Amino acid sequence: MHTSSPLKKEFLKKWMEGLQICCSSKKQMNVLERKKKIKLSADIAMASAKKTPTSWSNALISYARRNEEYMILTDQLLGPESQFNLQKSTDRMIGFHKRVQCKKILKRRNTYSAGKRTKKKTGHPRLISATLIAKRLVKKRTKVLKRLVPGGESMDEFSLIKEALDYILSLKVQVDVMRSVVTATEILSNEKSLKSVE
Amino acid sequence: MEKREEMGVDSFQFGEEIQSLMSVVQPPEAGNSFTALLELPPNQAVKLLHSPEETTPNIFPSVFAVIETDNSLDTTSSIRPNSSPNNCNLVKQEPIDSYSLHNSSPMQSDPIISKSAKRKEREKKVKSSAKKSKNVADETDGEKLPYVHVRARRGQATDSHSLAERARREKINARMKLLQELVPGCNKISGTAMVLDEIINHVQCLQRQVEFLSMRLAAVHPSIDINLENMFSAESGSLMDCNFGGLVSSVDGQLNGSSHHQQQLWHTDALPPQPLWGGEEVTPNFITPENSLLSYDSSGNSGCLHTNQLKMEL
Repeated sequence: MHTSSPLKKEFLKKWMEGLQICCSSKKQMNVLERKKKIKLSADIAMASAKKTPTSWSNALISYARRNEEYMILTDQLLGPESQFNLQKSTDRMIGFHKRVQCKKILKRRNTYSAGKRTKKKTGHPRLISATLIAKRLVKKRTKVLKRLVPGGESMDEFSLIKEALDYILSLKVQVDVMRSVVTATEILSNEKSLKSVE
Repeated sequence: MEKREEMGVDSFQFGEEIQSLMSVVQPPEAGNSFTALLELPPNQAVKLLHSPEETTPNIFPSVFAVIETDNSLDTTSSIRPNSSPNNCNLVKQEPIDSYSLHNSSPMQSDPIISKSAKRKEREKKVKSSAKKSKNVADETDGEKLPYVHVRARRGQATDSHSLAERARREKINARMKLLQELVPGCNKISGTAMVLDEIINHVQCLQRQVEFLSMRLAAVHPSIDINLENMFSAESGSLMDCNFGGLVSSVDGQLNGSSHHQQQLWHTDALPPQPLWGGEEVTPNFITPENSLLSYDSSGNSGCLHTNQLKMEL
């Protein structure tokens, strides 16, 4: 385990709290609903367990809160004081998103006008097309990455990579903890069923 | 090295050339920490040199990307890039006085001039390069330095736009190196697109794992009492410690009366100690603290667990 264990502890704690809240509702849920709730509480626990709130964690939480039925869960899980921070962060994110889009529009306009002035890069024509192909590939992939990382659409490439890095780390932590919990409960349930059979 | 100049391709080769050129690099200052987890200091900014005249034949070499940090430089230790995640970023300083028109750089001149002299020696080719300098305010990554020094290579567009582009690309490449180290199996791949591919695969894989695991948990769930989760939450402090003896769990007092029911379940159970899950250090200790907690007095709130009792039960 090269990742920090205090983070794991924090995540586990929050996740268990979330599960508790979920399961305190009396109605019977089928597997899919349960799975969704489990996943949701895990995600929120992950996002809130970070020490320094990054963009994707805020994005995750805000997405979760937008959904009506999950809002109660998230609010309960996070605690009342975090709601104010979240409100601010969501507003900031929306504003930032718009700002980024405006910047992109301006940039595109500038490059169109500037492209006529700049001379083409000298070199072999085949190499030039290779460059273009490479650029296109990279662009495609950054688009995909933007979709994957929560809150990634409103980011430029540079911070996107940073966010992706962070997100990968936390996902690793999340998977580790979840895996151990799941296997433990599976074993326990197996034992229990074996016992009941006897 | 001659082939270099034909490339307008943004690739890692560019960074490597710079690394080879750098005689002395400076450790990156910990201006803004990268992430809390990684604790990497990616404090870098690149300067674009912008000068109106161009064609004077200089001995100055092809391209330098000068990365400047917030504060003044202290050490001149050379850092091999990719030696560790902390040292991924190249930092170098350069005398602006002779090159640019902007005087507002906070750099020291003396050690830098010697550096540039060394750099000149290293350079094999003599090129006339058009130099431009420009201030680039970099707010997006949150780093403080506005300056970017890049000297344009021969045959490349020296427009400020393309220079800014190039600076941006360099930053991105530095970050990509970090990512390469994080994602397993990415070190051997070269090229931004492939690395991004791997990263996307990795993220998707992890996300799918999360989904799958939560589905598994949902399937298992109805057979286990909810209060079991309470137990888990109580032990969250101790759970992730690999050492058994150091179990300090702040029990939240969630052990209510129904935990007795589970005690009977587990008391005579001999849980199979063999690891069903491969190679996870946490899990062998996972069950045992839980057992100890369950066999514990439910009304008690102490955080100490009796390890001997545990081992006997197992």
